[in-house]
Amino acid sequence: MFKRKAAVAIAAVIATGLALAGCSGSGADSGSAGSTLTWGVIAQATTFQAENANWANESPYIQAVYDTLLKADPDGTIQPDVATKWEYNEDNTVLTLTLRDDVKFTNGDTLTADDVVASLIAFRDGASPNKSNLVNLADAKAVDATTVELTLSAVDPALLNYLTQNSGVVAPASSVGDAATATAPIGSGPFILNTTDTVVGSSYVFDKNEDYWNPDDQHYDKLILAYYADPTSLLNAVQGGQVNVTNIIDASTVPQMESSGFTANKFELNWWGFLLSDRDGAIAPQLADVRVRQAINYALDKDALVKTIGNGYGTPTSQIFPTFSPSYDASLDDYYTFDLDKAKELMTEAGYPDGFEISMMRTSAVPESHWTLYAQQLAQIGITVNYTEVQPADFITTMLQGTYPMYWFTLQQDPTDWQLTQFQVSQASTWNVLHQSTPEVEAFISTIQTGTEDEAAEAGKELNRYLVENAWFAPMYRPTSIFMSDANTVVKTQVGNAVPYLWNVEPK
Amino acid sequence: MLRFILRRLLAGVILLLVVSSVAYLLLYLGAGDIGRQILGVTATQEAVDAKNTALGLDQPLIPRFLGWLGAAFTGNFGTSWFTSQPVVAAITSRLAVTLSLVIGTTIITAVVGTALGVWAARKRGAADRLVQIVSVLGFAIPGFLIAIFLVNVFALNLKLFKPTGFVQLSVSFPGWLSTVTLPIIALSIGAIASIAAQVRGSVIDTMRQDWVRTLRSRGLSENRVLYRHVLRNAGGPALAVLAVQFVGLLGGAIIVEQIFAIPGLGPIATNSTAQGDIPLVMGLVVVTAAIVVVVNIVIEILHGFLNPKARIS
Repeated sequence: MFKRKAAVAIAAVIATGLALAGCSGSGADSGSAGSTLTWGVIAQATTFQAENANWANESPYIQAVYDTLLKADPDGTIQPDVATKWEYNEDNTVLTLTLRDDVKFTNGDTLTADDVVASLIAFRDGASPNKSNLVNLADAKAVDATTVELTLSAVDPALLNYLTQNSGVVAPASSVGDAATATAPIGSGPFILNTTDTVVGSSYVFDKNEDYWNPDDQHYDKLILAYYADPTSLLNAVQGGQVNVTNIIDASTVPQMESSGFTANKFELNWWGFLLSDRDGAIAPQLADVRVRQAINYALDKDALVKTIGNGYGTPTSQIFPTFSPSYDASLDDYYTFDLDKAKELMTEAGYPDGFEISMMRTSAVPESHWTLYAQQLAQIGITVNYTEVQPADFITTMLQGTYPMYWFTLQQDPTDWQLTQFQVSQASTWNVLHQSTPEVEAFISTIQTGTEDEAAEAGKELNRYLVENAWFAPMYRPTSIFMSDANTVVKTQVGNAVPYLWNVEPK
Repeated sequence: MLRFILRRLLAGVILLLVVSSVAYLLLYLGAGDIGRQILGVTATQEAVDAKNTALGLDQPLIPRFLGWLGAAFTGNFGTSWFTSQPVVAAITSRLAVTLSLVIGTTIITAVVGTALGVWAARKRGAADRLVQIVSVLGFAIPGFLIAIFLVNVFALNLKLFKPTGFVQLSVSFPGWLSTVTLPIIALSIGAIASIAAQVRGSVIDTMRQDWVRTLRSRGLSENRVLYRHVLRNAGGPALAVLAVQFVGLLGGAIIVEQIFAIPGLGPIATNSTAQGDIPLVMGLVVVTAAIVVVVNIVIEILHGFLNPKARIS
């Protein structure tokens, strides 16, 4: 008796549970419902505080709640946003911006020149990883309510570009410096962060800003940025239709996502390969010989590297300039093609027919097989790599100390020549880790900064060729970045950014 | 009784102090350049240095630890470096989610595990062997594999449940049920297996005792002997296993929550550890250590309630 009763009770509970679960499973807040955009993100919002804002993977958070002074098209062309006009003085050291007068913050205040000034100065002095974008901003002043004048300490050819990103975010002057805005921002953007429904670090919910000045950029009533850290749960979310668009964590999941009706939107952001940093031979005298650096380039079987390391997603190249740069030269992609005979010949000419030993650092954060492959590639021309293991947490810091002659790494490809040189080429740049340069390179960079438009464009091209011919780097390939979108959503990828810009994700 | 609880609480506080000191020192000693980790590869060295100064990392370790400890005593665990959320808010908002999973799992484990164990002990023969085999299997297969299997079958193919996400119980009961059912099943299978094996063994042992024979000889029904007397005696060891399970489930929940993208303590535990979000990791260390202390005290009290011999005067 007892047994039968118990069995019936258990069966009833299970049946009710399944029925209830079934009901909700079919009609719940799936990503494709109504005009909600559910976006799988692979970065949490570090902060919403404008002056400390991050960019790249975090750009959707910032673009949801804030406006920027300028705006970039998917191809990088600068367009008006809060600033409708911009004009440099003759020597490009004073930039005058004219602002819209109909932009309102979500606290009800109208956006004015004072807000712009406070935001720019705070960003320059803040804690954003990109604070150096405004390093040349000497001063900003409000000429009147809708006019701002920026005075530069040095010409900055990338400034307009920076003003389309986190450096150009405008927050109310009254909220600048207010730590509460880190999780409860006050902006003028297309959406408002719903702090009640948001689970910080997991799921960020935004409601449409009904008073937004530019409704053409609001394609949805609701935006959910759902954070995924695990490739399996992200894949499950895609297969279960719980996201409309998403970044990927693991490229090997792309085919399964595609078979669930998602489209892989492909683009390129970075280059992957060796930094031949010790070109003066301060640590490894052998690298001072350009023939050795060229031999390293010739020894790389780039097609095989794309297949094995890049899962087949990548384009072999010999240059670090991106395809979307005006200085990109398609012929330089295969300047160094895999040619062991040529590589050995160069090594012999340089006086190293039997090769030499070189020290490099490695870390367990990168698969063991990668390091083995890199060492094998170099061993083909007699170069023996002696790896030193560095803790993942110390990897970047140790690299930047410049104590090794060459490194493996992957670095971003900035859209403007000025940004690219300031990031990884110029003597002072962070990723010229031994800070070695040549007068030629510095001259090219100087022309890019202060020359006329034509002179700068020409200098960029020549610099690119110079870096390739002199083998400053040994690039292997440009990894393919992939952004997935479902059948109901269309996206336009953004040059130089890890994810599309928010307004370029639209319902079909 | 009160003295016992107070003594245990005091020991718990000392344990918390030791655990948090060791964790703090280990985390900072192995942290590397924290400013660089937060700001990433694009930041200049100046920006990194400014970040480190802003976080107070230019101060020596011991004064920094004392500062943290002093603040922690007032309930201020700082702010997450990677989400800007106060650590206390990050943990309290997620603790309920994880506890609802773990408590749900524990209840199901206790009920189903005991039922299976008793059934096997009473029936013996084929039923017993079946429970034993299932126990070994349930114990051997890790929870995350079960989770992946459940998602594939019941969420992605049969579409009975959601593959990821979480609905608060206060928002919608069916919604909540649809998001917690699979995680709870994934978590409970291994736990049920070990409780069933434990109960089965204890019940069989107890049934062989002389006093059980005496009870039977006095004409008590088999059900009364089993449920009133045998189970009460056999329950002690099972309860001890359940206590260990509860703490173990907190660890299991971390992985299962990650697979189901449930906003409990799991995702922030894995993320904050991987990212080096030290304030958040420290908060989690303190909270989990406190849970372990409290669970152990509760279990000892329950143990005394079940077994008068273990009762504290």
